[in-house]
Amino acid sequence: MPRPGLVLDVDSSTPPIVFHHGEDFVLEKLPAGRSRVIYPPEPHAGLKDTDAAIRHALEHPLGDSQPLSSLLFSGMKLTICFDDISLPLPPMRKPDVRQRIIEAVLDTAAAAGVDDVEIIAALALHRRMTEDELRHAVGDRVYDAFAPSGRLYNHDAEDPDGMLEIGTTDRGELVEINKRAATSDLIVYVNINLVSMDGGWKSTATGLSGYRSLRHHHNVHTMQHSKSFMDRHASELHHSNWRMGKVLRDGGVKVFQVETTLNNDTFGTSALDTASPLSMLQKREWEWTARDRATFLAVQAGLKRMPARAKRAAFQSWKAPYAVTSVQAGEVEAVHERTLEQNFAQHLVPVEGQTDVLTMGLPYICPYNVNSVMNPILVMCLGLGYFFNMYRGKPPVREGGVLIMRHPTPWEFHPVHHPSYIDFFEQVLSQTTDPVEVEKYEQAFAEDEWYRHLYRTSYAYHGVHPFYMWYWGSHALQHLGKVVIVGGDPKAVRRLGFSPASTMADALEIASDVVGPSPTITHVHNPPLLMADVT
Amino acid sequence: MSLLDRLGVELPDPRRRLRQLAFPLVAPSTPRGVEALPEERRTGADYDTAWARTFRARWTRTVLLEAVLRPTAAAIARPRRRGIDRLADLQQPAGGSVRPVIFCANHHSHVDTPVVLTSLPEPWRYQVFVGAAADYFFRSRATGAAASLLLNAIPIERATVTRRSADLAAELIDDGWSMLIFPEGGRSPDGWGQDFRGGAAYLARRTGAPVVPIHLSGTDRILPKGAKRLRPGPTTVTFGDPIHAEEGEDTRRLAARIEAAVAALADEHTSDWYSARVRAHAGQTPGLSGPDGPGWRRAWALGDRSPRRRRKAAWPNQ
Amino acid sequence: MKALEFSRKPARYAAAMIAGALRPGAGATVGPLRLRDLDEPAMPAEGWVTLRPRLAGICGSDLSTIDGHSSRYFEPIVSFPFVPGHEVVGDVVGGDHDGQRMVLVPVLHCEVRGITPLCRGCASGDVNRCERISFGHLEPGLQSGFCESTGGGWSETMVAHPAQLVAVPDDLVDEAAVMVEPTACAVHAAEAAARALGDGDGPVVVIGAGTLGLLTVAALADGLSITTAARYPHQKRLASELGASTVVSPDELNGAVRLATRSMKLGKDHASGQLTGGAPVVVDCVGSEASLAQALEVVAPGGTILVVGMPATVSLDLTGLWHREVALRGVYAYRREDFASALELVARKDLGRLVSATYPLSRYEDAIVHAADAGRRGAVKIAFDLRKTSERKP
Repeated sequence: MPRPGLVLDVDSSTPPIVFHHGEDFVLEKLPAGRSRVIYPPEPHAGLKDTDAAIRHALEHPLGDSQPLSSLLFSGMKLTICFDDISLPLPPMRKPDVRQRIIEAVLDTAAAAGVDDVEIIAALALHRRMTEDELRHAVGDRVYDAFAPSGRLYNHDAEDPDGMLEIGTTDRGELVEINKRAATSDLIVYVNINLVSMDGGWKSTATGLSGYRSLRHHHNVHTMQHSKSFMDRHASELHHSNWRMGKVLRDGGVKVFQVETTLNNDTFGTSALDTASPLSMLQKREWEWTARDRATFLAVQAGLKRMPARAKRAAFQSWKAPYAVTSVQAGEVEAVHERTLEQNFAQHLVPVEGQTDVLTMGLPYICPYNVNSVMNPILVMCLGLGYFFNMYRGKPPVREGGVLIMRHPTPWEFHPVHHPSYIDFFEQVLSQTTDPVEVEKYEQAFAEDEWYRHLYRTSYAYHGVHPFYMWYWGSHALQHLGKVVIVGGDPKAVRRLGFSPASTMADALEIASDVVGPSPTITHVHNPPLLMADVT
Repeated sequence: MSLLDRLGVELPDPRRRLRQLAFPLVAPSTPRGVEALPEERRTGADYDTAWARTFRARWTRTVLLEAVLRPTAAAIARPRRRGIDRLADLQQPAGGSVRPVIFCANHHSHVDTPVVLTSLPEPWRYQVFVGAAADYFFRSRATGAAASLLLNAIPIERATVTRRSADLAAELIDDGWSMLIFPEGGRSPDGWGQDFRGGAAYLARRTGAPVVPIHLSGTDRILPKGAKRLRPGPTTVTFGDPIHAEEGEDTRRLAARIEAAVAALADEHTSDWYSARVRAHAGQTPGLSGPDGPGWRRAWALGDRSPRRRRKAAWPNQ
Repeated sequence: MKALEFSRKPARYAAAMIAGALRPGAGATVGPLRLRDLDEPAMPAEGWVTLRPRLAGICGSDLSTIDGHSSRYFEPIVSFPFVPGHEVVGDVVGGDHDGQRMVLVPVLHCEVRGITPLCRGCASGDVNRCERISFGHLEPGLQSGFCESTGGGWSETMVAHPAQLVAVPDDLVDEAAVMVEPTACAVHAAEAAARALGDGDGPVVVIGAGTLGLLTVAALADGLSITTAARYPHQKRLASELGASTVVSPDELNGAVRLATRSMKLGKDHASGQLTGGAPVVVDCVGSEASLAQALEVVAPGGTILVVGMPATVSLDLTGLWHREVALRGVYAYRREDFASALELVARKDLGRLVSATYPLSRYEDAIVHAADAGRRGAVKIAFDLRKTSERKP
């Protein structure tokens, strides 16, 4: 039986806490008497027979939906859409749950004699997936059956003939999605809910849309009113997506949503699992065995000797042994409520009250640098966007408090994946880091032909994407009094508008200038992921 | 093509050599008019293979598999392995132990067994025995010993499942051993498949072990039945979705399902997965046994089964 | 009188070449530049006056001469030994303007050389295009400060023709006045840029943010969109203050121009790569091989590259110039009228603040090294201070 999460008050007997530090790990001793560490719940057990669970879900849908087999008929137009490379993180071991679901859906479609099937990676303005990445997500059988004939492809939000306007919401938000999907008799959306932000109407209304639609909720105002965007009921981002979902439904777009949840077994829980050299990271430090400690020291020593490129390659090749904890299918909203229950059961840890300082160790990966480089903008987005928002209720740090993150934050960009990020970093952030000011540069990037060209034909994130990264952190920027990055490239950290520090002690010193001496501290333990339920 | 192929490797025929030897190098013939002693049968289905599962034999087999069989199979057959991801759920240990599985493959050639054995994923790779024809592999103690040691073969009667071989196989499966069996009962005489026999289905029902269908392609070109020459070439091993015996399903129906599954894998191999699924659901999967008719038509149709030629018509459509 | 003299000494020149390549400004120590006690220069002709320099700037062309990497092109149009220094504000002794503080217009054109009739350039007022710069009653020399006959600003005394003098208003301090000559260059460059731009709306790209780059930005600024490539933080700050709309590092320039002009790009590397479009006018205030190559990458088809920084022998791939019909055009010095605009601009934009440090002649080696390393040391313009202590303002 997996144990629930816990909040540990740090005293003199507490061992140092392991922090992610990009492609590295650091042990930090937090000040006794005024620090607390939030530990995530242990990984929940996976489904015994995933394939059977998938088939059961497809035939026993939630909400007012018919079973999948009765929605499929010969001569129909079926489009299967799936979450892109940004999920899950890190990528999961083969077979990916998307492959299992798509195969089950296709097998049902084959039984019904459906010929017109297309499969679309619902990546909105993310970069296109490569063949290897697509093969990993959907499996070789599906890839070989559909890709050569052009029936498995990446969504292209800038294809002038590929998008269809469905309508506008009662708030005047334009809803535009992939034309093939919109004109299909049925969309089957295959989702992975690693965190509670994903899924629901956000799958179709965001994943299949483009800039004209996204700008209505991917903006500073919306993100500052999403507290947090991980809590769908308190998130303006989700409210907007749900309004768009209504437009889709009323516009006749029929969606059969399949959602899945994963446990938080990022690095493998079994020490016997020889493929998991980092399994000790899943454990609480005081429970590390001699073997765990030896492995940790060996890993650290090895990483120290590895060149940066090799380290990155090694970490990026890691495939997480995530287990599927639930599969539900049917009507979008009913499905998503069930998904959220599962997500929260795995991630939520009850926490009481706020502290002056929040600390976190940022890992080597975020949704936008799979097989890529974690550039400074992504560091900001991961820390102030994703990790800061992993709360329900209120943030674990008080308003005006200080966020201290650990990450090497190198001044480095992937030239193919993130071309617009480079220009954003060089030309926008050098002028201002205030999200409201930043927003003024958005249109020039969003409508730039070159970025559009790279997004459509190369493997580049859309020109506007770095802005969204910045907006993702805008709620945190508004809430916090200061952000300190420990161990980062000082020049890059300053460009982000944050304060560099070389050690955690220095960082706490800098923090005390803002929040006063001897501040109280919350540390969010990662790995694996958790969500603080703060009251 | 490799050098081996161009040279053409002649397989030695030890039997011809043996016949040239004389007593006492070979056993004496029994004189006419003398009543021979009743022979204690220790070959065929009666060959006792227990020794081949002792610790030392297993260890030896592991070494032989990795050091001899794998490089040989890789050199001769260059197997491409597909569909192993379908076994993901079975690979998870249940209650801490490996789940035994019955692997059922179509059978073209003596190359099949090494190709499949070297293609099996963990945790079954070193925990598998092979059902081998009692009248062929176990006709002498020497071939029986070799088959037992190298392949962990047990003798199975081709025609009907006898009590003795079925009991042994079921016992081994219950002990956690997985089984590789070729339900056609023998190698294909002409490249087309033969009807699947019921042994595998019977064992699956009896032990509750899931059946994993396997389709082999390409081995028929390497060493078809009756060939004296190895022609190295590429092969594909396709693993299918596990099949579980359903409540109340009889052996015959289960055997038919297994055959259909292998046929669908063959179809998947020559076309693509989705088209194969559509045909499978419509009951239009091409059979393994090929068209009826004269031999030349069967041989001609065989050409269509190569994935490289699948879209070319044999001659212009009329 | 005390003066820094540059003489023709091939061995020392070679030494300066090597030292200058190792460390910018080191040519001052080992090269042919020496602080000497010289006789005051004789009046070349009737009507000339004596000028007692107050401040004399160190210019990029001076530095390349001292470090031995200026072009051999200059050989026939300079005369040895000469006293360098052509950015000069000084007191006039004698003549109509006796006692006045004036700025030197150093170009040695027909009128100054006593040549009549005037050459075509001088006749049309383009004295910088004078065709007689090594003839007449003066020794060869394109400007005062490169001519044996006139002396130069890096001394206590030089001589000047009245046509070479422009009066300085009383409210303009010496530090501002010494910036007038380089500002006149910038004014001239800005006029050339405006002409090349025509009715287009830019942006104008300025490569380099040393003295000349910053002054060009200041001269261009009003109403134009300017993208500047600056290497050092103080240069970036000053470029923005002086009116550049976008300031980036040199390796960020291609991206910035691409974005601003909505151009496409060829090649995968982010920091470089030929733009398909680009800026209609690129003002290169560096003049190096790298800056010219970058200018060719970011200039628009049919556009103009103005070479304002002094180049030397460079190796360039001009295929793009041919294919994209780009004009490569030099911009040298100024017309006399440019000094009026320069005086106004210096006063209006407080360009005197660009003078970062002054040195007495005796510390010339330090001064040269400081000037050669100005960017890295956070400086812009370095000048020699020839005033008596009592004349200096606090």
